[in-house]
Amino acid sequence: MGTIRSMSLWVVLGAAIALIFAAIYMTFLYAPTESMMGPVQKIFYFHVPSAMVAYLSVFVLLGSSMAYLWTRRRVFDYVAVAATELALLFCTVVLITGPIWAKPAWGVWWTWEARLTTTLVLWLILAACLMVRGYATERDAGARMAAVLGIVAALDVPINYLAVHWWRGQHPQVFGPGKKDPLAPEMMHAFLLCMVAILTLYLALLFLRSRLAAAEDRAQSLMDRMRDS
Amino acid sequence: MTGPPASSSLPGFFRASWLVAAKDLRMEWRTYERLASMALFSLVVLVIFNFAFDLVTVQRIGAEKLVPGVLWITFAFSGIIGFTRSFQLEHRRDSLVALVLAPTDRGAIFLGKTIANLATVWLLQLLIVPLCAVFFNFDLVSVAFPMTVVVGLHTIGLAELGTLFAAIATRLGRGEALLATLLLPGSTPLFLSAVKCTEGVLKHQSLGDLSHWLYVATGLNLLYLLVALMTFEYVLED
Repeated sequence: MGTIRSMSLWVVLGAAIALIFAAIYMTFLYAPTESMMGPVQKIFYFHVPSAMVAYLSVFVLLGSSMAYLWTRRRVFDYVAVAATELALLFCTVVLITGPIWAKPAWGVWWTWEARLTTTLVLWLILAACLMVRGYATERDAGARMAAVLGIVAALDVPINYLAVHWWRGQHPQVFGPGKKDPLAPEMMHAFLLCMVAILTLYLALLFLRSRLAAAEDRAQSLMDRMRDS
Repeated sequence: MTGPPASSSLPGFFRASWLVAAKDLRMEWRTYERLASMALFSLVVLVIFNFAFDLVTVQRIGAEKLVPGVLWITFAFSGIIGFTRSFQLEHRRDSLVALVLAPTDRGAIFLGKTIANLATVWLLQLLIVPLCAVFFNFDLVSVAFPMTVVVGLHTIGLAELGTLFAAIATRLGRGEALLATLLLPGSTPLFLSAVKCTEGVLKHQSLGDLSHWLYVATGLNLLYLLVALMTFEYVLED
């Protein structure tokens, strides 16, 4: 059982690495350069999947936080730790790649537009979730507080999407109703591959980090037992 | 004691919350400790804002652009002080344990604490809003009713999230610094709505024109209440 699990982990990790290289090839050599924006448009292939995965991770955080509070099974807390850190990581990627694209496209590094603002706010809340875990002197108390915060953080996400309509920002909407064939076929292929690659990378990291959290917990309880005896 | 807990019925739940709220408010009534520190702090914030923008800037930008931000930053900062204290007192005297041991739903404790916090902030706003009108020179009398609705409505959500997060911060042995880090980003959508509405009111828009935002705020108030009622027991448990 254990070997199968670690085998499948290596398979996912290997697939993620291979897919990332394929994604880099597709992005830079296969997909055509966009006529208006030029090479800077290539950021799109990593920016958008990272944003999607960051939001996916927030939903994983919501699910695992609720499951942890109700069942108190530690495994859900391990997943919640992993989901929080990964959501923060991919949110950081989004917030770094975004301005690099925005400077040539919009002429500014940053603007207080709806989707940008709410992504930054999400980043802040996720950082606060990790901070709460760090402050807790008792492991379980920290896990519970972080779970409560995780649920509130996840509620921020749908509000985030609605916010775009309410404030009507200048963020480009490539996909959406009434937009037929927004991308050239080669661009679409490259984008879909990037999407699969980043998603696979996310899953591999989620497994790895959850396993690490479980190992940390085991080591801590062994240490506690040693101290007690 | 046998029998079901007093709060297993809905009237029992509300009675328990009312008792918690009344206890907190009575303590406040006897000392004015919280309200006094919040009021003084708000006053300082307002004065600092007047230093930050000189009179010419205020006149050029116009009160309706400046005041919403000033008001809500003041409410948030003074709220943070008030919300933290509502749990710190109990934490210091270990009376939170007694409260948790009471045979009531923990949600009732949350609701009671929130009501007390909300009443305190509302009282503070009765003082701060007119003071702000004097300092920033806008006509409050002509917009008194919509202003009351807008400020009152948005403060509900602020008190709900503030109470939940203050409990978390206190349980972790941290004070205002952690609460600020949690509450300010956590209540962003509410703040946006609050600032937009206050700006609309100052521009003499009717409540009907702002109904869109008022629905948003009402929805957020209900959402925060629901989530807090469901999760509060996990924050309190030992």
